[in-house]
Order: sequence, then structure tokens, then C-alpha cells
Amino acid sequence: MASMSEEEQERIETVSKFLLQSPPGEINDVLNDVRVLIGDDESLETGILPALTQYNLEQLTVAEVPGAGHSSIVSIRARIPGEEDRFLDPRSKTSFLYNHLTMEISDPQTHEPNEASEPFRSALETSTLQYLSSHFNDGTASVFANSDETSFIIQIVANKYNPVNFWSGRWRSEYTVDLDARKVTGQILVNVHYYEQGNVQLETKHRASIVLPTSISASSPGPSAKKVLALIADQEGAYQESLGDTYHEMGDKAFKGLRRALPLTRQKLDWDKVLGYKLSAELSSSKAIFGGSGGSS
Amino acid sequence: MEPVLSSMLDLMRRLPPTKIEENVEALMQISPDYAEDLSANVDQPLKLRVDRATGKEYLACVYNQDGESYRSPWSNEYDPPSEDGPMPPPKLRKLEIAANEAFDTYREMYFEGGVSSVFLWDLEDGGFAGVVLLKKTLTPASPLEPSGSWDSIHVFETMERGRQAHYKLTSTIMLQLITRRGSASGSSDAKEPVTWTHDGEISLSGSMTRQMEQDHPVQDATSHVQNVGRMVEDMEIKMRNLLQEVYFGKTRDVVNDLRSLDDLEKARRQRELQKELVGFIKS
Repeated sequence: MASMSEEEQERIETVSKFLLQSPPGEINDVLNDVRVLIGDDESLETGILPALTQYNLEQLTVAEVPGAGHSSIVSIRARIPGEEDRFLDPRSKTSFLYNHLTMEISDPQTHEPNEASEPFRSALETSTLQYLSSHFNDGTASVFANSDETSFIIQIVANKYNPVNFWSGRWRSEYTVDLDARKVTGQILVNVHYYEQGNVQLETKHRASIVLPTSISASSPGPSAKKVLALIADQEGAYQESLGDTYHEMGDKAFKGLRRALPLTRQKLDWDKVLGYKLSAELSSSKAIFGGSGGSS
Repeated sequence: MEPVLSSMLDLMRRLPPTKIEENVEALMQISPDYAEDLSANVDQPLKLRVDRATGKEYLACVYNQDGESYRSPWSNEYDPPSEDGPMPPPKLRKLEIAANEAFDTYREMYFEGGVSSVFLWDLEDGGFAGVVLLKKTLTPASPLEPSGSWDSIHVFETMERGRQAHYKLTSTIMLQLITRRGSASGSSDAKEPVTWTHDGEISLSGSMTRQMEQDHPVQDATSHVQNVGRMVEDMEIKMRNLLQEVYFGKTRDVVNDLRSLDDLEKARRQRELQKELVGFIKS
């Protein structure tokens, strides 16, 4: 491959930034636009691969696991150490190659879990999947064990794409369950795009930290995992409800503070008089001055 | 439309509205040939400037721009001075002054603050065009109160036909609202005290565009100010409702569609139980 000119490189860098900003479910639309701008598919495809990879990993891309009958999450957490494009589905104990450009999945291989951490990981997974089917319409979750054997990662993603009605949405949550530190830390990210004759986006970031009660321990995986997920469910539910309150506040206070629905008079402007308003306002203010010194007529 | 420009505009409809300025600039840098098309077709947040002569604030956008200079609607001067910056002819300038006064009143009545500016220019085939700009920014009193901004860009064209005039209005409203949150709470469950802390940010931002065409009678030049005034007022009332519906209704529905507050499993089990019961009664 011929090396890219500086100008070409700058163009690739710019469109890579655009790709990373793609709204939920619209990466292909952005890619099509960018393809027209670059006009050279070969340099585009090699040039944007790092951005596409980053996008897929950040956005918790959903991949159908070969032969497993379920999907798993392609993310940094799922990446097999030392192998760029191989990802793990701990649930089916399978790893597979993922092509970030074509989204093709290939070469599934069995992946043996760490025996020490697997009981708790698997219990967390069971509870997570229960929580998922209780509160998400189109959700996918993966639960990973960290190499320290006492901390675990829960990732959840739910997508809804409705291009016919010009909207799309994505909910992402990620939690680190640390049994040693007795803590769950995590974040929820929500993105919504509405684009019928416009472009309106909701973007929320929410960080949470939950202290784990002493009853939770690696020695009782089942009940402990249940409790952890109950805490996460409470926290996510409370967050979703607080979003409603924030909406109310923004709609009530801020929106009205920016522009009134109608003037204080509760009537639309009398445009026949508007041109005279200034003049009459000046007159009435001078009248007030005269009125103050001269008394009533 | 030309494919490159149409791809650029499609991109701008998809990428985050909060990054509109930097993204337009990035597009101009990689495709300088399209810089003019982009600034003519992509609405960007209005910039506040101060008229040096009167000390009054006005709004800067592509319609009062000449290179690095912007014309103030109050003093009619370019800042920095521009020798050959386009100026409205005297008759149109008179109307521009009247329109600025009228929309200054409109701004005070609806926005109770903020800044307005109106700019007019002649059209080549007779008639004239103009833009009505309004901007208000909310600065929160405390860090946990919402901040926000409203930018209106109403572009109109008018052609006189005898005692009537035909008006074409294209309106874009950009609205941004941001709330920051932070709190800590303890559980009331005394047996196992649970504490959480959380903080975060919620941002709703974007723009919507609508068009309107109407005919209105014209008696003299000031009729245009009244006609455009009524159209802009009706359009803003309509679009304010629309923005409210989309910002606080639609996006919220999508969130609740992604995650259900109610337990879906419970609902599923209930439905199955009902089905069983119905089957039981029927048999």
C-alpha cells in the first residue's frame, strides 16, 4: 500500500472523529457520508479502522456468539489479552474473532475459565441475566472476572433503532464489583437521537458508587450475587426516576426561563401597535415624570 | 443536491449538536471548496457582539458578516470597519431600523432578556429578504441548577404582488439545556445500611427547522414588519410546543423504551397466568 500524503492523513483523522461521534445505530450512515467525503475507499478502510475499533469497543457492540444461541458484548473487557481482535463470551466459554469493519464473527474457540473466580462470576451472570430480562426490552449483558479473582465486571447494553420514525437510543451500564474493597462502582450512559426535521440529542452520564454490605462474600456466590444485582437494580431504577424529575425541572424552570409561551399579558403581540410601542413607552415614562411633579390633571 | 454537500449536511444532522461549531470547522478544513456552502446551509449558534458606537449588544451570524467584520443593526457600522461590506440601500435600512425596534419589543415580551437583531437585504429579482435573530442564555445561580440557551434564526423572503406580498419563512431554533447532579443517600433498611453516592450530567441539545409560506396585504413598507412579525410569532409558538414535545416527551419515551421501570418478567408472568385462566374457564 502506498503511504498516505499528509493531507490525506489529516482528512482521515477528521472523519475518524466524526465516526466516534455517531449516534446509536447510525455508524453506517455516518460511514456512508464519510465515504463520499474521502472518495477513496481503499485509504478510507485502512485509515478509519482504529476509529471503528474504538467506536465498537466504547459502544459495547453486540455480537451473536457462534452456536451459542445468545449474544455477547464486544468491549475492552471482553478482549483476550495479547490478541487484538479476539473477544470472549464468558457465558458460553467461547472466544471469537470480530472484524470491526465488516462486523463478521469467525473462528470460535473454547476458552477455559479461571476455576477460582468462575463460581462467583457465573452466579453474577445468572443474576445479571435475570435483571436484564426484568427491565430491558432488547438488552445484552456480559460478566467478566478480573485476573485478581476477587473483582468482576458487569456490562449491560440496550439498543432501540427506529429509523422509520427518525429516532434511536442506547443505554449502557458498566459496574466493577470489588469484593475485597466491598464496593460496586460504575456508570450509566444514555444516548437518544431524534432527527425528524431536526437533530435533537439526549446525552447523560451518571457515575455511582455503592458500598456492599458485609453479608456479601465469595463463599456464598448465589445469594451474594442476587444481593449485588438487587442493589444495582435499585440504583438504576432510582436513576431512571430521577431523570424524570430532571426533565420536569428542565421543562418547567429552564425552558420557561428561556422563552415564555405567551407574554405576561397572556396575549399575542398587537403588531399594529408594536411599531408605536417604543414611542408610547417613552411618552408614558415622561408622563409619569410630569405626573409625579404635577399631580393629577 | 451535489453529493459531497448532501453528505456533509447529512453528517451535520447526525453528529452531536453540542459539537456543531468544531465539526463545521473540521469539514471546512478538509474541504475548503465547500466552506461557503456549509456556512450558508448549516445554522450555527449565534455570537454576541457589542456595538462600539451605542454599547448595545447585537447578534453575529453569516447574514451580517463580511470577512472578519460584522455589521451592527443599531449603528449600521461594520466592526472592524469594512470598506466594501454590503449595506442595505437607504429605504431598506429605514425598514431595518423599524424591524429592529419591533423585534426588540417582541424579545422583551417573550424572552424577558436576551438579544435580538434583524438584518435586511435586497433580492436580485426584486423584493427583499431578511433574518430575525433572537438569543437568550440562562446562567444558573447555583451549579446544580440547569443552564441553557435558545437561538432563533428566522430567514424570510418576500415578493410584492400588487397589494399583496408573498412570504416564505424558514425558521431554525437551537435549544440547549444542561443539568448537573450530585448526591449521596443512605438506605432506610436498618439491618444492612447501604450507602450510595452518585453524580452526573444530563444534556439535551439540538435544533429543529420548519418552513411556512403565506400571503398578506401590504399598505406601506411597515406592513412588512407587521406581517413578518406575526409569522415569526406564530412560528415560534408552534415550534416552542414542538420543542417541548420532542425534548421532554419523545426523548423520555425512548429512555423508557430502553429500560422499563416496571418489572417486565412480572408482567409477562401475569399475562401468562391470565391466558391460563381464560383457557381454564373456556374448557
